Amino acid sequence: MIRGSLRSLLVVLLSSLCALTVPAGAWVDPPDDWKGDLSPIAASEWNYQRAAHLIERAGFGATPEAITRLAAMSPERAVASLVDYEAVDASALKPFDESGIWDPGMDPFPPSRAEAVRRAREHGEGLGEKVLPAGTQRRLQPVVDKFFYSLTANNIETQRLGLWWANRMLVTPRPLEEKLTLFWHGHFATGQNKVRDYRMVFQQNRMLRANASGNLRDLLVGILKDPGMLVYLDNGENIKSHPNENFGRELLELFTMGVGNYSERDVREAARAFTGWTNDVLTYKFDAAQHDSGDKTFLGRTGPLNGEDIIDTILAQPVTGEFVAGKLYRYFVREDISNDVRADLGRSFRASGYQIKPLMRRMLLSKDFYSTPSVATQIKSPVHLVVSTYRKMGLSAVPTIPDFGRMTGGLGQTLFEPPNVAGWAGGRTWITPATLLQRGNLFRDVMFPDVTGFRPPDRQMSATDTRVGERIAQGMNITEATREGDAESNKMVDRDEDYNTRYGGYAGNLLAFKRTKLIPRQAAPVDVTAMMTAAHADTVDKVVDHLAYRFLSVPLADKDRAVLVSFLRDKIGSSTVRPSETLESSLRELLYLVLSTPEYQLG
Amino acid sequence: MYGLGLGAGLPLLLNQTSAALAAQALQGTSIEKHPNRILVVIELSGGNDGLNTVVPFGDAAYYKARPKLGIPERDVIKAADGFGFHPSMVGFERLYKDGSLAIVHGCGYDHPSLSHFSSMGFWHTGVPNGGESLGWLGRVADETLDASQRNLIVNLGTSQSLAVRSRKHSPLVFDDPTRFRRDGTDAEKQALAELSESRTTSNATLDFLASTAHNATESSDFVRRASSSYRTPVDYGQGGGLAGNLQRVAALIAAEMPTRLYYVTYQGNNFDTHVQQADLHSRLLMYTADAVRGFIDDVKRLGRGDDVALMIFTEFGRRVEENGSLGTDHGTATPMFIVGKGVKGGFYGKAPSLTDLDDGNLKMTTDFRRVYATMTDEWLGCSQTPAILKGQFETFKVFA
Repeated sequence: MIRGSLRSLLVVLLSSLCALTVPAGAWVDPPDDWKGDLSPIAASEWNYQRAAHLIERAGFGATPEAITRLAAMSPERAVASLVDYEAVDASALKPFDESGIWDPGMDPFPPSRAEAVRRAREHGEGLGEKVLPAGTQRRLQPVVDKFFYSLTANNIETQRLGLWWANRMLVTPRPLEEKLTLFWHGHFATGQNKVRDYRMVFQQNRMLRANASGNLRDLLVGILKDPGMLVYLDNGENIKSHPNENFGRELLELFTMGVGNYSERDVREAARAFTGWTNDVLTYKFDAAQHDSGDKTFLGRTGPLNGEDIIDTILAQPVTGEFVAGKLYRYFVREDISNDVRADLGRSFRASGYQIKPLMRRMLLSKDFYSTPSVATQIKSPVHLVVSTYRKMGLSAVPTIPDFGRMTGGLGQTLFEPPNVAGWAGGRTWITPATLLQRGNLFRDVMFPDVTGFRPPDRQMSATDTRVGERIAQGMNITEATREGDAESNKMVDRDEDYNTRYGGYAGNLLAFKRTKLIPRQAAPVDVTAMMTAAHADTVDKVVDHLAYRFLSVPLADKDRAVLVSFLRDKIGSSTVRPSETLESSLRELLYLVLSTPEYQLG
Repeated sequence: MYGLGLGAGLPLLLNQTSAALAAQALQGTSIEKHPNRILVVIELSGGNDGLNTVVPFGDAAYYKARPKLGIPERDVIKAADGFGFHPSMVGFERLYKDGSLAIVHGCGYDHPSLSHFSSMGFWHTGVPNGGESLGWLGRVADETLDASQRNLIVNLGTSQSLAVRSRKHSPLVFDDPTRFRRDGTDAEKQALAELSESRTTSNATLDFLASTAHNATESSDFVRRASSSYRTPVDYGQGGGLAGNLQRVAALIAAEMPTRLYYVTYQGNNFDTHVQQADLHSRLLMYTADAVRGFIDDVKRLGRGDDVALMIFTEFGRRVEENGSLGTDHGTATPMFIVGKGVKGGFYGKAPSLTDLDDGNLKMTTDFRRVYATMTDEWLGCSQTPAILKGQFETFKVFA
């Protein structure tokens, strides 16, 4: 009896120790024939390593404790805990705290500064600002200031929104919801730099989240009636007398079917069907007068087709199921998809009425998903890289020194600013020699934050604007203060008696800084020492093994493990790790090395 | 090993590394017709006002549309057939007189977009009104350059341009060579160099990452040293961004970097001259012309004049008619430039009419992909040009 309970105690102790410091040799390779096999894996094949792979792909990674919990479930339960996320209470997630930068007078926002000025001249006011009385110097200045204010304020508010989303990815109890939302954001790429209205960007983000695992038709109707998308693809200019093909082309080429599966005529006919689909600021509007209600022939179907008819015709094509399912597969499973898998997934996706959830469940449970070519073969996107690192560190908020948006932006991905309509190309395109070095460097900034030298990007002016401000502060008038470079160029900036654009840029910044909420700045509360203590890692070998176990998706080669072990041993002058004043700094250096390895880029 | 040559002094290190890099370049690229040729592409972002760059001073419609902004005939640097350069483009005047500047009239594409973003995307991908995800220069590299060789594409800029996005190649992208580096203490960097050694495993992505990391360590040192040690007597003019970047390209060519495709951006959205454009535009053009002239002189000085050609583009021109703010709004067709010792100088293509307009904008006369095709087919000698550009485009016989 006593012996029995001692033994079980020993087993518990050993297994908990194993869970935290699995030696490198414990990685189990899946059987070769799992590749391409869409049948579900058995409960007996479920383990920690596979649970870690699941949460890495269907979410943003997790701490060893959270992975251990997933590993203790059956594979069906583990996948369901991610896929059936509506059942998970997410009410503790904080809503976005809007600054309130828009006044009613700013809608509808003019497409250019020139247009803002033109309207203000005509109406005596613009963007909610009155033109100054005749005879006043620079009587249009308030309008021009307001125009620049809006550009800067929307940029800052979008940065804040990006940080809000990153925090949501970090702390959400429904990681797949955010991962899918990020997927759709790349699929239905829309950029704030063109839309110039964070409200539209936010509204689209909520729409994508609400439909992320629902039905493809709802998503398509939602995105094609989405004000941000309508503006981004200039569908306001798609009118009966002058159809604009952009919208129809992106729908076919990028959103649903892919090139080669339709003709140029189909593009033109689709464009006609979407004429009159426009927006009144934040609301979808159907402008019947601009809609072409004549007969169209699209993918073999003829009639007075409207936009939704086009969507239904597209959904009736087998290639649509394959295209969208194939893209989800390449995002969640692996880059290379076989024709058989694509056909199979596409068929079942279409047969289900384009339900996304069953497709996700099938993919995430499949042996193929856990096969060698799928595991740890994906290059983490910049957003995934940063968020998952914080998640694996166990942080409860995204650090703001260094700045999250700057970190991912420097690596080629800024939330709400995809590079173009095709979204982020992903995969190997994330990696250049410079970005690869940068991927490591930025974690050095996390470990050793430059708190005193940090300049918040949400309060930064260009060099020119800064100079204008300094000169105004010295008591110069606007003409003097906006003088730049040689004497000739100065005359030009201030030549229009009605306003000074350079001053407008400066004044717009100031007002934006005043009316947007400041991003609170804090460095990461990392405590690597505590992490090691909790893991009972009291030797340099155990420390290296624990860090590799916690952060890497592939085993470290013996040679590389040896490099890390000797680095730490040289640093602390011992093979035993004891808390000391300098230990944390040494451990942070070591963690920086781990996070800079080629291995760490793989998820 | 990382420490190679570190204590051996700069010239030795450069020689060793460049010899290694050059040897790499020779191996495997010999299937090309012109394995020594280099293409430099310059992007003028913001939409350069073509009409005030290559001025149609012989056309009364120009002065009618540009009563305030038109460049008076007496100031224009006359070239040929009623066309001339903006008076600040003394650098281009020199190149034109040398016979090494080709001007292609009226470049654009069907159904032009007036959005910077969309239009630049179309020029970057070389697929107007399409959703191609790779850049045209990236595809040039994919089709014609040996993917096992490193640093065949260099992109000087703060971020990687879509134009160089490639399936198989990893462009070397950097802005400030002094910041293209691995951060950390010497001990950290030493360890990371060891952790980044190339390897062969069963995971191809890991091998790719390790080889890129290895290359990054080596290349960043090389680039930093090549840039910091480069001295030239040639004057590139005052134009900070472009002059500096072209000088970095010359430094890399001088250091025998194996790069075949250089992509250089004129930083910011500078050419977007909606307001009070005269003086600003004049400066931009002067900087551009001076920097290009300086670069061409410099590569000649380096003995590589015959191996280098340069192409200049912008995402669109500007409207024919000036606007009410002494500026010009987004337009369509605009000239492109091809520069180099091997170029047959002069004007190509047909100038668009200034009166037969499409909603106030020029009707393009040259699909810009004809110029791309000229660079890939005639200059680089790529027989796969139609596949790269996804169509057959007639070249201009600019390179005799």
